[in-house]
Amino acid sequence: MTTPTNAAVRTDTVWKIFEHDGITVEAVRGVTVRIEPGEFVVLAGPSGSGKTTLLNLFGGLTRPSRGRVWIDEQDITDMSERQLARLRLERLGFVFQAYNLLPVLTALENAEFSLLLQGVDEEERQRRVSALFEKIGIAGLEDRRPGKLSGGQQQRVAVARAVVSEPALVLADEPTANLDSASSDALLDVMVRLNADLGTTFVFATHDTRLMERAKRLIRLVDGAIASDHRR
Amino acid sequence: MAAGPWWRIGWRNLGRNRRRTILTATGLAFGYWAVVVIAGMADGIVADMVRTATGILSGQIQAHAPAYLPDRTLYETIGGNEGTDVPALLAAIEREPGVLGAAPRVYAGGLVSSGATTVGVLLVGADPAREDSVSRLTAALVEGHLPAPGTRELLIGSELARQLNVRVGTELVVVAPAADGSLANDLFTVAGLYRTGIAELDGSYAVGPLDAIQALLVLDPGRVHEIAIRIADPWTAPAIADSLGTRGVTPAGVPVAFRPWTTFRPELVDYANLSAGSMWIVVVIVFLMAIFGVANTLLMTTFERRREFALLLALGATPRGIVRAVLAEAAALGILSIVLGVVITVPVLIWWHYDPIDLGRLFGDFTMAGALVRPVLRTDYPVTMFFYAAGALLLTALLAALYPAFRATRVPPADTLAGR
Repeated sequence: MTTPTNAAVRTDTVWKIFEHDGITVEAVRGVTVRIEPGEFVVLAGPSGSGKTTLLNLFGGLTRPSRGRVWIDEQDITDMSERQLARLRLERLGFVFQAYNLLPVLTALENAEFSLLLQGVDEEERQRRVSALFEKIGIAGLEDRRPGKLSGGQQQRVAVARAVVSEPALVLADEPTANLDSASSDALLDVMVRLNADLGTTFVFATHDTRLMERAKRLIRLVDGAIASDHRR
Repeated sequence: MAAGPWWRIGWRNLGRNRRRTILTATGLAFGYWAVVVIAGMADGIVADMVRTATGILSGQIQAHAPAYLPDRTLYETIGGNEGTDVPALLAAIEREPGVLGAAPRVYAGGLVSSGATTVGVLLVGADPAREDSVSRLTAALVEGHLPAPGTRELLIGSELARQLNVRVGTELVVVAPAADGSLANDLFTVAGLYRTGIAELDGSYAVGPLDAIQALLVLDPGRVHEIAIRIADPWTAPAIADSLGTRGVTPAGVPVAFRPWTTFRPELVDYANLSAGSMWIVVVIVFLMAIFGVANTLLMTTFERRREFALLLALGATPRGIVRAVLAEAAALGILSIVLGVVITVPVLIWWHYDPIDLGRLFGDFTMAGALVRPVLRTDYPVTMFFYAAGALLLTALLAALYPAFRATRVPPADTLAGR
């Protein structure tokens, strides 16, 4: 299926149903949504509303029980793990609540990881990461391991890792949840700037009201379904 | 995809739980130690057997007239009835690189009698001066002296002396078929007794001066049955024998067959092959045991790092990349273990080479495959086993990592990152 402008990501009546110990949970229920390139979108809603699950469906980290998902008009629903891995490597960036940096790599090595997997040469990797570190205020921390960085610094490294390869879509799950308000504001400034400068599409799943206030589009989920969808 | 990140991650991961890494690497290193040291001991035993079996009398290479064997006919001397220039032949042989010495001999089956007792023996005519450079028979002298050239004296084994109930100075009647068709007989005096520990040698050999035995057997001085040759490295015997045979060292084109000990003592070769073959059973057993230990460690490791594997998958690593990450860690562990293994193995090999464990007090000497074996665990340097064991260890680590690696690829990224 084609559209006049390719959506960054879109779903059609997508469901995600978990079954565990005979209990069935409908985490996402028939969601149809379209997110355009360059949008700065927040998925909001109470715990258990399906935000993270929908984000994972967008990123191909989990497969829908029903319905379909497209990234840049590529149907990812039935892609093999290998195809999904390639798509994630080339088109997506992820930021997680718990930073999830590899503890044995330095900040620079963590940030350049996607580039390394893409086969970008060392000089170019270092140039891009250094420029990005400068931009997001963590220049000089390149050689530190995650254990020697504060929570805010670690999350900035995680953001750098997510955007350094200039993916079309960055998916961020509660990126400010473990940060104090100052670090949180600083991180949001970084992402807003990257959205403006690079045109990167950001989709957040969050409870954070500060993040919701900055969103250009706010999608509220309740019980796995979209309750409201507002553009600002 | 570049191997770089996986190797870097694998290597650094070893440092995350150093105690566990050191314990696992130590286990593998001791497996390596066991394999190499056991191989060193086995090689040492084989080398001792070969040295003993070929060093006491036979030498490592023998030269005969081509038709002398297998019947050891009295008439088949080197150069036929005319004989050969024995000193020239010995000199030519000793010029061959690797040859330490050569000694001429004549042989004949005969009988020795003392009083009413008669025993069948192999009569050996040898040059005592040259035997020192070839055999250890003279060194095995326990009583009396070596037979002097030109005398009718015999050196006999201690067991033969016991059977004949004779001692040094006793006269013996020697009877043997002579080359002129007559039945030669003469009186010889027991000059000395030797003891090698090998029953056959100690009980049925009588050694006299070459010239005296030749005279008894009516053989000219130029007629000998055998040139026994000693070389520096017994394992080069086939090559040296081949070289001697093809170089034409014999005077005036006299045909001579040079045979290495691997031909005339095939049972020793069989034993060496059996020993080498059985080493692979040891390798398999040791490393099979190690596989489970390493697999267990790596399974724990991969389970602890489920979140990291999920992250790698989310970042775009393929399942193959995850497998590489785990295998790289296993390979790094293997290399660390090899280094540790070499460090603990080499000193022990050197120590036990120069100061071997002596079990002689417990077991005494014994013969095996016709060779005297001293129960002394002297290690040789099994150079090839160093590399084979290292390869086996690395293979062990990689094989042990396959299942944990497979498990790591099955980590569901979304659930794992969500802590489910």
